[in-house]
Amino acid sequence: MPPQASARPEPSRARPGFPVPVPAQPQRRALYKLRRFLVRMGPAYLLILPAVIAMLFVHYIPMAGGLLVSFRDINLFAVNRWYEAPWVGLDNFVAGLDPSGFLGARFWRSLWNVTYFGAVTIFAGYVIGMGVAILLNRPFPLRSLVRGLILLPYITPDSVAYSVWRFIFQARIGLVNMWLMKLGLIQEPVIWLVGSNAIYAVMVAAIWKGWPFAALVLQAGLQTIPRELYESAQIDGASRWQQFRYITLPMLAPVTRMLILVSILWNYNAFNQFYVMLGKDPGPSADVPSTLILRETFSTFNFGVGTAMSVVLMIVMLLLTMVYLRALRAAERGQA
Amino acid sequence: MAAKGSVVAGHGHGGSGNRKRRRGRGQAIGGRILFSLALAAVLAGVLIPYMWMVSGSFKSSIELQASDVTRPGLEPSWIPRQPTLDNYRNVNRTVRILDYLQHSLVISTGTMVVATSIALLAAYALSRWAFPGRNAYVVAVLSTQMLPGILFLIPYFILFTWLRNQFGLQLRDTYPGMILTYTSFALPFAIVMLRSFLDSIPVELDEQAQIDGASRLRILWSVLLPLARPGIVSVAIYCFIMGWNEVLFASVLTGSHTRTVAVGLLEYITAHEARWTMMMAASIIVSLPVLVLFSFMQRYVISGLVSGAVKG
Repeated sequence: MPPQASARPEPSRARPGFPVPVPAQPQRRALYKLRRFLVRMGPAYLLILPAVIAMLFVHYIPMAGGLLVSFRDINLFAVNRWYEAPWVGLDNFVAGLDPSGFLGARFWRSLWNVTYFGAVTIFAGYVIGMGVAILLNRPFPLRSLVRGLILLPYITPDSVAYSVWRFIFQARIGLVNMWLMKLGLIQEPVIWLVGSNAIYAVMVAAIWKGWPFAALVLQAGLQTIPRELYESAQIDGASRWQQFRYITLPMLAPVTRMLILVSILWNYNAFNQFYVMLGKDPGPSADVPSTLILRETFSTFNFGVGTAMSVVLMIVMLLLTMVYLRALRAAERGQA
Repeated sequence: MAAKGSVVAGHGHGGSGNRKRRRGRGQAIGGRILFSLALAAVLAGVLIPYMWMVSGSFKSSIELQASDVTRPGLEPSWIPRQPTLDNYRNVNRTVRILDYLQHSLVISTGTMVVATSIALLAAYALSRWAFPGRNAYVVAVLSTQMLPGILFLIPYFILFTWLRNQFGLQLRDTYPGMILTYTSFALPFAIVMLRSFLDSIPVELDEQAQIDGASRLRILWSVLLPLARPGIVSVAIYCFIMGWNEVLFASVLTGSHTRTVAVGLLEYITAHEARWTMMMAASIIVSLPVLVLFSFMQRYVISGLVSGAVKG
């Protein structure tokens, strides 16, 4: 890890001071301080300006606008003059969240779906990733080739990978059903991509796509564990399992914490795998917030309700982000 | 598990010599077999979908439609019964995938150039100035990474519509609009990654150049840029791949002029017809640029991805 910038002498501080003598009057002194500040720090603000503008336009202004829109009644006809659309208070939130209503029920169900989906895929991805990372942590011929190959799922474009999995899960012409029939596990082809099976099909595909990233991060983490720890444990007669349990796992704890938290946050954005494999409407048992909101907004053109639901999703994720940042700080303190 | 470890470790590192002596030869061979089996299982798990994709891309659509898992003898086969190149030849016939490829190429390259340049400037500021608000800025940049994309999408769409009607500024379904969108998506990660690369370059080099009378931008261009080249390349590839793979915003903001491959690929399957064989051929074509770019610069990209991921 590179040294933090603040730990080194700053170039601005190392430069000789501003040549003008300090004036006596307090007003002048304030001006002088301002000028001095601008000369020193002005370039920095100019340099971040393009990035700030781009992110303002795409992220911050729409986010603020989204908060406003969620309190207005905006449909397809009002969208051009959204600022004149009537305020409706919390109506959008009620429509989107009321569990006894159609949409509200779908929304809570979709939140549950994505949580269930994440719990399974993140856990499985971590376990597989850990197993493979340990497997590949030892030298063997062609190791770097194997390490490259296992990254394939991770770098394959989402729409390609999930299209292939959609093909594999086809009922009549799919690989999965063919194998299950040959093994005698099923008598009739299973309909995978419609109804209650759909979420499991997407889980399999998402685990396949996701574990290489876990393996990648854990491999990097394994390389930071000093070999001496294992050597002294071996002298003490520790078994392989004990070495894993009492050296590898604790030493990987900071990396694991980061990995799991990043995965949880990404998980609530899950869209591609469901959209590509199941289409615009995955059905109630496989709907996730992103697909539901997208439909409500761009098929029903109910912008207000769609935004209200995405605001709620954001609040869920903000809570998670706070946990995330806190854990990050704790991990950094632990490393220092 | 135990034997496997000691045997393989014995090749590279001398440390396990005495343990090797304690273990029998049979155990060592057994361990090696176990290890190879585990490795083969992992590789099979990774590669089978690709093999199925390649196999599917060489089948004729008639063969695929006739196949049926319930009828012995008609199961879909790994080796196409009558291999054909028709899917590749006709890949552009029903879906304008070559146009979409061109759109993706323009958008991804544009995103790569714009986002990398902007991120480099911002990373330079973050790395070399302790300006007030620096930490707040980093937090603000990173926090956007954690918010749902769908949250921006709706108001962003409304903003595009409003700008068009109010000022005649067309952003939806245009290259500049898409490049701006993806640039902003790529920026947080790109800035953090480039900053860590610039931080690793000693600040004394800046000071030396400053004494020689170089301006700030000159220092960035002539001193830091050459030294940070691996980092810049990996960030650039990250930006390119991001633009190539994005689905959610592309599905709403692109139209016939800018539809990208990530969304266009899905057009092979419609309510009326499922052209799986062509879709598999197109999938291979769509993946190639990403795979080539990635294998080309694998080392840089991986180290960047890991450090970026570990830092958030």
